Amino acid sequence: MARIVVVTSGKGGVGKTTTSAAFASGLALRGHRTVVIDFDVGLRNLDLVLGCERRVVYDVVNVIHGEARLQQALIRDKHCENLYVLPTSQTRDKDALTQEGVAAIMEELKQDFDYIVCDSPAGIERGALMALYHADEAIVVTNPEVSSVRDSDRILGIIAARSRRAEAGQEPVKEHLLLTRYAPKRVQGGEMLSIDDVQELLRIPLLGVIPESESVLQASNQGIPAIHMKGTDVAAAYEDVVARFLGEDRPLRFTQPEKTGFFKRLFGG
Amino acid sequence: MAKPKDSPPRHEAAASAPETRPGALRLSGGVFTLSVLTLESPDAQQLATRLQEERQRNPAAAALLKNAPVVLDLSAIPAEAPLALEEILAVLRGAQLLPVGLRNAAPEQQQLAGEYHLPILRGQERPAGPAAPASVVQQRGTLLIEHPIRSGQRVYARGGDLICLGVVNAGAEILADGHIHVYAPLRGRALAGVAGDETARIFCSALEAELVSIAGLYRMPERNLEQWGQASQIFTTNEQLHIAPLGGRHT
Repeated sequence: MARIVVVTSGKGGVGKTTTSAAFASGLALRGHRTVVIDFDVGLRNLDLVLGCERRVVYDVVNVIHGEARLQQALIRDKHCENLYVLPTSQTRDKDALTQEGVAAIMEELKQDFDYIVCDSPAGIERGALMALYHADEAIVVTNPEVSSVRDSDRILGIIAARSRRAEAGQEPVKEHLLLTRYAPKRVQGGEMLSIDDVQELLRIPLLGVIPESESVLQASNQGIPAIHMKGTDVAAAYEDVVARFLGEDRPLRFTQPEKTGFFKRLFGG
Repeated sequence: MAKPKDSPPRHEAAASAPETRPGALRLSGGVFTLSVLTLESPDAQQLATRLQEERQRNPAAAALLKNAPVVLDLSAIPAEAPLALEEILAVLRGAQLLPVGLRNAAPEQQQLAGEYHLPILRGQERPAGPAAPASVVQQRGTLLIEHPIRSGQRVYARGGDLICLGVVNAGAEILADGHIHVYAPLRGRALAGVAGDETARIFCSALEAELVSIAGLYRMPERNLEQWGQASQIFTTNEQLHIAPLGGRHT
């Protein structure tokens, strides 16, 4: 049976789409048949991050309105064969998503895939509610700053009250915290909240920490999910996240400030 | 046709008398007796006729009801019937009655009431009404919440105490007619004794609340407060709100 995972945050710009692309790619690289769905109707971005923007013919709204079959809208990822993308519409708005339509798509995808990753839009309105409604697990992407933490808290409350599992009185959605854009040096300097600070506020299990890095920007500009950027700490951190999600025990990395070498200090880096 | 009847308790928000501290706002409960007018037809003209008949039949009773606040009971009106609420309100005001709210209103009628800023009073349960989302309300006794209460969530222990085992985060609101116990940091808003019980108290293992209130007296704790982050209890004596250590100063 497929697991449905929503990547959400409440706040915008924290790294939901980057995480959705990297996380879904990571699952696919490990041999799981995975589909990633963009729920951000009107602000289509996932296709860019995955580098498939020129192959979008039909989208999720077409499928909901019966203008295309699901198989026609699914795009196979060029980086890994087990990954498919269901893009969203750039010309419609969030009201184009209907409860029944999304439910029907989920049912159909469940037959074919091991994991369904839902990339949520920012906010707590219709699009975000649709993305989280069917979730079995939630990855709450949070930056180490107070406004992001408060918005994550809000979305956790909504998941606990308004998801399908909550409405049906089933076992609650499994929550995971993913800290992104983490800069250990700035944490040490007191400019950023630490991992402990965020956990103390949100009180959900930590899935991983993604360090702040320029390779994320490079990756999305090139349309390559960050997990494919070999040799970067971001790719390694996302690999750890996927491994932990699948039940492996991996120690946290990239959470301490880098020691600056003697020559680097002398000549600047 | 208009019969006086005991109304449910209503919570009134009102600015306090001038001699209280400047900027203070007192929120307290009050019980009022209101007349209930059961509407027999959705038609405003018919209501006007009936009121006229009533007035001629019993002028003394009509005089007694002059400028009386009335609650409109809609239990006899089918949910799908077109309700000319604006005209009905005009007829009532024309008959020197002051409509202050509705009861037994169907969801569609409640929506209509919202447009005229009319509150829905208790007794609004009709079959197939939508459940109130994202808030936990219970009838009586103690309400125990084991999970964290997060920003945007609201929990009300009606008629009893509230016990929270998890954290109450900033942006959350917890209310109880009785005491509130939080065995974790209290960072949101906590209001005990909301129905007016001044003996209600708030207990928490770390006070970092945005607001604490007992029976309408409130305070917004600041970081420089001696009890900030400490195990605390909040209670009132002589209309004064006190924040004190829980179990001695060095626990």
